[in-house]
Amino acid sequence: MMHSVSKRILVGSCFLAAAVNLVHAQSTTPGGMPPPPGMSLANSTAMRFPQPVRVGDLLGREVLRPVESQDILGRVRGLVRDRDGRIMVVVDFGGFLGIGARPIAVPVDAMVLLGQDMEIVAFTPDQLRHFPTFSPSGTTDVADDTIIKVGLAKPSH
Amino acid sequence: MHWVNAVVMLVMITSGWGIYDDDVIIRGFSFSSFWRLGDWAAWSLNWHFAGMWFLVINGLIYLTYGFVTGRFRQKLLPIRPADVVQTVVDTLHFKIAHEDITVYNAVQKLLYIIVILAGISQVITGLAIWKPVQFSGLVSLLGGFQTTRMLHFAGMAVIVGFLIVHVALALLVPKTVWAMLAGGPRVSADSQVQAHLVRRGHTA
Amino acid sequence: MRSPFRPDIVPDTAILDNHKPLIRSLERRGVIRGSLSLGALVLLTGCDVKRPEAVESALLAISRLNDGVQALLFNPNRLAPTYPASMILRPPKFNAYYDVMDVKPVDGATWRLEVSGRVADKRPWTLQDLRAMPQTSMVIKHICVEGWSYIGGWSGPTLRIFLERIGADLSAKYVAFKTADDYPSSIDMATALHPQTLLAIQYGGDTLADPFGYPVRLRMATKLGYKNPKWITAIEVTNTYPGGYWEEKGFPWFAGL
Repeated sequence: MMHSVSKRILVGSCFLAAAVNLVHAQSTTPGGMPPPPGMSLANSTAMRFPQPVRVGDLLGREVLRPVESQDILGRVRGLVRDRDGRIMVVVDFGGFLGIGARPIAVPVDAMVLLGQDMEIVAFTPDQLRHFPTFSPSGTTDVADDTIIKVGLAKPSH
Repeated sequence: MHWVNAVVMLVMITSGWGIYDDDVIIRGFSFSSFWRLGDWAAWSLNWHFAGMWFLVINGLIYLTYGFVTGRFRQKLLPIRPADVVQTVVDTLHFKIAHEDITVYNAVQKLLYIIVILAGISQVITGLAIWKPVQFSGLVSLLGGFQTTRMLHFAGMAVIVGFLIVHVALALLVPKTVWAMLAGGPRVSADSQVQAHLVRRGHTA
Repeated sequence: MRSPFRPDIVPDTAILDNHKPLIRSLERRGVIRGSLSLGALVLLTGCDVKRPEAVESALLAISRLNDGVQALLFNPNRLAPTYPASMILRPPKFNAYYDVMDVKPVDGATWRLEVSGRVADKRPWTLQDLRAMPQTSMVIKHICVEGWSYIGGWSGPTLRIFLERIGADLSAKYVAFKTADDYPSSIDMATALHPQTLLAIQYGGDTLADPFGYPVRLRMATKLGYKNPKWITAIEVTNTYPGGYWEEKGFPWFAGL
């Protein structure tokens, strides 16, 4: 009895009081937010509670756009270190169902883990389209058993 | 019964779209809020879990009625592949006469059987994803939780596909709409006798 | 100790008793009205319908009936499927009602778990105390109400052992939780006593990481994800319905799998 009545009063009053705010509480803080303007990618990853993950476990993961429709941007092909030692994720980007995709190198700090998938949070699809096609010269592969740290995000909707 | 079902089906479909959007199954595809029942997931879920009782109860009454009175056997069987092809060809030539709307043509029979099976399948897959631990055997039989979710989504697609054809054809053959609204076609005493004889095997 | 769950000014419970018939008739009417509004409202799909109050309370009334049905369907002896440790997703999937950047880590050294309500021993607990208890591990599927799922490996004392240790009234109706991130939650006693209900302090064999609820979170194999509060700071055993964060916004309370 308490259960239903108090619940109804609570629910009723909170919707009446602040319909838009409370009702959309879920969507006011979507996941996969881009880093604040001016902040370095490394610093924004540091704010996303980077977690250890085995490089081999990232291979083949779907790379999504952080939006409700979870558009597929591509798939993780491999991880490399560039000339400056930064870890880059080589993503088979674009195309349709993998056909017509081309590899691009995205800084791992521009990406986050979302469960079994990854998301690119620091670049829009339009920016990614202008990324040069990845060329392995001057880079070194990161071994599958290497543990790196990648930031987190919550689902976007 | 038909109209309870129509309303409940629409509730289940549109609230289901609201639940779908929280974690899309087809990557890149979500339903815009115009098509969703419930202004966010919790209310879509509440609509869905309220509607399910009406769907199941109405569905049980319909199935019991269909089997007990022999209506299913009489109206939906037999289906001959040749008849299906013939009806499709006729329809493509705009020969959708429906002289006697009490008799279903072969395509109608096939579609009605498909949609009844899809409805039953939705209840089973729905139960499995609602209670994947209590019915864990059912879930593994269906291929796991995510696969069952996809089957539930695919079942919806089948029903929506049926609805589009069903509504379009009913509008093309205006006298069926009156029958649907009024609860059944007007049947003359003569044709009733005729139908009775046909049923008993005394082919006219 | 005073329960951290109680409001400072307690409402007079006589109000409820005096209005019992009214409350009951309201509930019954809600269900009937629900059936009618279901039909009426669907015709409005597509318009920008904010929930009219009658529809909302009807849907909530049916949701509460469903809570009852779910409790009946819950078999306390039925175990959720388990998986090999090699299938554990590392790290697990993060989710909360706020973005990950807003996670406020808890200091495990000074952290205390308050215990209150219908329990014999109300001494607060330290993380060391929890670590010293018999530990159970389970590799289970985490299923979110949104539809996604992943396999996770969790360890810690079962909530049952914890409740027995504090001399809880195991015939009470609810176990309620308070957390450091203001995410109150509560579950039924039957689920609290289920062998796959843990006060998890480890994930995949390692200490629980900050964004996943360090030092302790609830993990139940038999409920949806949102029923598992993280960063727990207080546990109360009670007969008064405690509600929860999402439940007050409309999600079902029982949420059993």
